[in-house]
Amino acid sequence: MEDKLSKEEVLHVAELARISLTEEEIKKYQVELKKLLNEVEKINDVEGYDDDILIANWDSNAELRKDVAGDMLNPKEVLENAPRHAGNYIEVPVVISDGEGA
Amino acid sequence: MSKYIPTIGVEVHVELKTNTKIFSNSINGYGQMANSLTNVIDLGYPGTLPTLNEEVINLGIKAATILNCKIRKVMHFDRKNYFYPDNPKNYQITQARTPIGYDGYVEIIKENGEKKQIYIEEMHIEEDTCKSAHRGTKTLLDFNRAGVPLIEIVTKPCLTDGEEVKLYLEKLRELLSYGNISDCKIEEGSMRADVNVSIRKNEKDPLGIKAEIKNIGSISNAKLGVEKEIERQEKLYDAGKTFKPQTRRFDDKIGDTVLMRVKETGNDYRYFPEPDIPFVILTDEMIAEVIKTIPMLPDERRKKYQSLGVTEINTNKLVQNKTLSDYFNDLLDTEIDFKTASNLLLGDISAYLNKSEKLITDTKLSKERFIELVNLVSNNTLTSKNLKEILVPIMESDNSIPNIIKENGIENITDDTEIRNIIKRIISDNPESVNDYKNGHDRAIKFLMGQVMKETKGKANPRIAMEILTEELQ
Repeated sequence: MEDKLSKEEVLHVAELARISLTEEEIKKYQVELKKLLNEVEKINDVEGYDDDILIANWDSNAELRKDVAGDMLNPKEVLENAPRHAGNYIEVPVVISDGEGA
Repeated sequence: MSKYIPTIGVEVHVELKTNTKIFSNSINGYGQMANSLTNVIDLGYPGTLPTLNEEVINLGIKAATILNCKIRKVMHFDRKNYFYPDNPKNYQITQARTPIGYDGYVEIIKENGEKKQIYIEEMHIEEDTCKSAHRGTKTLLDFNRAGVPLIEIVTKPCLTDGEEVKLYLEKLRELLSYGNISDCKIEEGSMRADVNVSIRKNEKDPLGIKAEIKNIGSISNAKLGVEKEIERQEKLYDAGKTFKPQTRRFDDKIGDTVLMRVKETGNDYRYFPEPDIPFVILTDEMIAEVIKTIPMLPDERRKKYQSLGVTEINTNKLVQNKTLSDYFNDLLDTEIDFKTASNLLLGDISAYLNKSEKLITDTKLSKERFIELVNLVSNNTLTSKNLKEILVPIMESDNSIPNIIKENGIENITDDTEIRNIIKRIISDNPESVNDYKNGHDRAIKFLMGQVMKETKGKANPRIAMEILTEELQ
């Protein structure tokens, strides 16, 4: 088994996390991320492993909430927790929407 | 005939008509002050936990039923991971592996009368993201939309042209709004469509390179966008060129699609099960209870209306207007003349509503009052001319209809003897017309009838007057 990830794999993960890495950091993470993956892969050795047990207990049906409104935050409070705001909007550096997410 | 075969798939997001959001109890509302409908869950504060809204599951069950989908009884949610400011948790909670509905269809009727089933691959529940607006170097965020419940409905790639896309979207909008699932307002973003388009030369070829069209602002733009995109791809292939998989958007100013970005790599959302929400397990009883509450759907309404004597044109007009159709449905347990009722609703009453920019539910025309009106018109006590004169007070005042009729001096003469006396006099005064009639000139009776109405100042019941006139002319 290869004991480290390829440089491309590390750069891909960095891109997904929207972070930039130095050459040194890339080298470091090639080894460290691989170690982490090796640890996680041990789960495959568990006998009778079933994907679904990772999600939740089958016996516990989700408790559903009634569709009744409760307290909301004061918009002022919301804006105070944002680094910048313009009027009542939270302001962030421009990102061109590609309709990601929903 | 084009030498290419287009293959089209449609993804539609609709916002569900709930009081609160999917995972929090803040209000699901539109058009409010920015960032005024949020709480710590919608904003993804650390340490908060989502709790699933029961009504979202109910609406999911209804939507699945209406779209002829199979319903999954054991389901869970998944996290779709991505970094983007519209989602502060850095993941969207969705149903990637266990969509609530699957294997469904919607039937459309094409212009040539041909019926086609548009197959639905799956429909899943998920949360909406916040709304972002780009202003120069800044992006402005409004979290009122964050956590609004959505269902996403994904067709199989089984559509073949812009017309089918249009018909499918219209049908979907009709079904979901009649089912009270969503208000499906494209202009307010409560219904949003993305369309995937590719073309190929032969049925046996693999599917062509795909372009996804987003930001489609109306159903007619969806049709136009698809047609333009097919045209664009055909031209490229004809010129021996190719293109990369890409996302385009419809620009209504130029009436065409424009490139948003080229997809260099596939999406990497690293889905994994949402550990904060246990399995949702539905029983047959729960599903049956919810299905019982589905309102009468458009096709059933059409059948019902026509069986009651409403014309096909009126039936379609009624079903196109949900408020009027709901009003009409409220009358189905009564024994009125439904043809007259539909004529009144779509004629003078609709004209009044359009002019005054009101909904019928905003007027004084209660169910009881309308029944009274329909009966007066169907037994000819009120003529349509009379009705026009007194419609405004009927729609706007609390005064009783008999009072309104009286106060406006509209007392029709329904007394046969009185009408007969007048008619006898007119016949003796107009011997030439009587002769003409007897010689087969049909127009003569119209003249005589006109004299009757003139003499009675329009107050003779026209049906009764005509009967007596015909009798007296024998």
